[in-house]
Amino acid sequence: MTEAAPTLVEGVGLRTRERNRRIQAIVLAWILALGVWQLATIVSDGWVPSLARIATAFVEDATDPEIWAEIWITFRRILITSVAATAIGITLGVASGLSRRADAFFRPIVVIGMSIPDPVYIIVAILVLGTDESSALIALVIALVPFVVTIVVGGVRARDRGLDEMSAVYRLGRRRYLLDVLGRQVAPSLLAATRTSFAFAWKLIVLVEALTQPEGIGAQIYYAFRLLRPDHMIALALLFIIVLRIVEAIVFIPLERRLFRWMD
Amino acid sequence: MTERPEGSNHAPGGRVRERWINLALSAAGLLSLMLLWWFASRTTTFVPSISDVIAAVPAFLDDEDIWPDVVATVRRVFGALAIAMVAGLAAAYVMARGGLWGQVVDRYVSLMLGIPSTIAALLALFIFKRSEIGVYFVVAIITFPFVALILLQGLRTADRHLDEMSDVYRLPATTHLRHISVPHLVPYTFAALRNEYAHAWKVVVLAELFAVNTGMGARFARAFDRFLLVDAMLWLLVFMIILLGTEYLLLLPVERRVLRWRESGAATP
Amino acid sequence: MTDVHRTETRPEVEDDYIRVENLEVSYDGTTLALADMDLVAGKGEFVAVLGPSGCGKSTLLHAMSGVVRPQAGTIRIGGTAVRGSMGDEAPLIGYVFQDHRLLPWRTVEQNISIVLRANGVAVTEVDGRIDRYLSMLQIDRFRRSWPMRLSGGQRQRVSIARALALQPAVVLMDEPFSTLDEVTARLMRQQLAELWQESGQTIVFVTHSIREALFLADRVYVLTKGPASVLDVVDVSVARPRRYEDPMLTELEGRIVDRVMRVWGYEGPETTDEAER
Repeated sequence: MTEAAPTLVEGVGLRTRERNRRIQAIVLAWILALGVWQLATIVSDGWVPSLARIATAFVEDATDPEIWAEIWITFRRILITSVAATAIGITLGVASGLSRRADAFFRPIVVIGMSIPDPVYIIVAILVLGTDESSALIALVIALVPFVVTIVVGGVRARDRGLDEMSAVYRLGRRRYLLDVLGRQVAPSLLAATRTSFAFAWKLIVLVEALTQPEGIGAQIYYAFRLLRPDHMIALALLFIIVLRIVEAIVFIPLERRLFRWMD
Repeated sequence: MTERPEGSNHAPGGRVRERWINLALSAAGLLSLMLLWWFASRTTTFVPSISDVIAAVPAFLDDEDIWPDVVATVRRVFGALAIAMVAGLAAAYVMARGGLWGQVVDRYVSLMLGIPSTIAALLALFIFKRSEIGVYFVVAIITFPFVALILLQGLRTADRHLDEMSDVYRLPATTHLRHISVPHLVPYTFAALRNEYAHAWKVVVLAELFAVNTGMGARFARAFDRFLLVDAMLWLLVFMIILLGTEYLLLLPVERRVLRWRESGAATP
Repeated sequence: MTDVHRTETRPEVEDDYIRVENLEVSYDGTTLALADMDLVAGKGEFVAVLGPSGCGKSTLLHAMSGVVRPQAGTIRIGGTAVRGSMGDEAPLIGYVFQDHRLLPWRTVEQNISIVLRANGVAVTEVDGRIDRYLSMLQIDRFRRSWPMRLSGGQRQRVSIARALALQPAVVLMDEPFSTLDEVTARLMRQQLAELWQESGQTIVFVTHSIREALFLADRVYVLTKGPASVLDVVDVSVARPRRYEDPMLTELEGRIVDRVMRVWGYEGPETTDEAER
């Protein structure tokens, strides 16, 4: 009739079970994916490169110092664009979030900016400044800013207005307000915005390099495409994704943890 | 010092005045874009002037050739988006339930979030050669994980209070599903739809650029290749008008109507 | 403490229509919310459960509605044991939450009809009941409105109408007026008292306001702090209709306050004097 309360020992068991399940899931996910891939290779009669070929290509590329130079080039570009886009986006976003009037002014620009397909930005930038790096980067920053602005505006709008009032009553001053009051509340959105612009920058840069530059990972991938080497295409993409994941883990996760310490 | 709230002039005249000011500012924003265009057309060789473009509009619209391409692109967007929404819901459901499969799907979805559209397009080219399916594939694959993410949030934030009420009044599972679970998801569905609708449009252009010969993206690319810059500009404008038009005249009103229960009464200040 | 002047205004009752015995309920299986709780209510009686915040009185209602399983003890309503979610023989329960819990995306009439239909009320009956109870609570003009457009008091009335329309064995009310402003709350208490006289519904009403409990109830169960059990049972034999400011209620209130001050953990008068010095 009466239920037994779960004991503390059972509670511990629950946690390990969760972890085991997660490991199982990862393993299962990988096995499934690889299995399907191999199947595709067989079915497509070699069109889809086999896992073995990809693995070989991967090792080749990972041990090629020239490839690492290309990786660095692409990475540098991503860094520059996302940092610039984030900085500009945060400024405009905070302004639009705080002031209805600023929002009214920037809104049409943001909306139209977000509706222009990416290739257009890149083509325009190339033609404007000739085929050198700065053109592409400027175009990308312009392409990214609307997204960052939208995220930041959302975060600013969702703030606790009560704290605004408190800041006014206690005469905290603009700097204090922005840093301590608004900043803290908006931090999660800012982080999301930075991550998004980082991720989007990666996607766009690959496109840019595929269309124009003779260097960078995107270009390499496109060359592989041109030379009908799908195994290298995939291997290069994988290599770069791994690098990005590592960077994410090193930079963003600790940042997130520091930022949200007060929540505990 | 924090800003004094704008529109703090509470007299009814003041509020209306605010709205006009904001409207004017929006117009100013648009105007600054036009200014940019004008400036670009004066200082570069390839940006056509505004007057040239406007002059070419009637001939462009008259040309019957353009409509099949427009229709093709629209069809692809809506078709692929529908697939993405359904697949996204399924994935979100599995992820929300958790367990082994939930985690597996979670990993796949996170991975797919990061695929650059270019790579997806190239992949589609490889797999489907130059066929229609390739475009659907690319758009669906790119938008699906975002849909899944948003719907997952919806499923995760189920309102426990309403669930408790449903328990107390012993509402059967079907009633609970129909009147509580599904309506709760509606705002999230619209959020997913809104975001990914625009996203789908942009990806479709890319996919068409790479993979097929029809559709607005292909026409844009072709015009550009042949240096018919006025045409290219017109295709761009057509694209943007359709995208923004459907978004503001179709999606937004529907969303507002479906969510009308949210508006609080006039009593609340 | 108990005032045992049974007056003729006391309704004829089935003495233990609701019987709770030795009830023990815990939150999440570890912390005890209720320990050895007893409660008896006759059919048609208005019983209040009074306790400080967080003492577990809401948990009592959760257990009585069958949503939470007790660790020990029994609950019987109208002779049937309440035991988690069950079949058709289970007694119908009306529940009024502190925060209305209306479906915001359904109109007032839909909110009620959904619950009625789910509990087996015939389609032909539904409309009639909605008519009757909406007008009983004077909100018939909001029949097709969205809950968000109504004021707090109006939403609570819908919640009450929903509970009453079910014509349940018992209506459980969990601090239903505590989120309302004082004026609205006063009006609602008044109206609830009248409604109860008219409908003869059995009501178990949880509150932390002593005055509210005394104004509304036939009997008040005063609980201890968590884990809660019965500290005292007060018979409120003041004739109805009662006035909120009735001096007899004030006297009873004073006695209860004296009794619970230390038990509920509030400082006595000496400490206040000390602080003032």
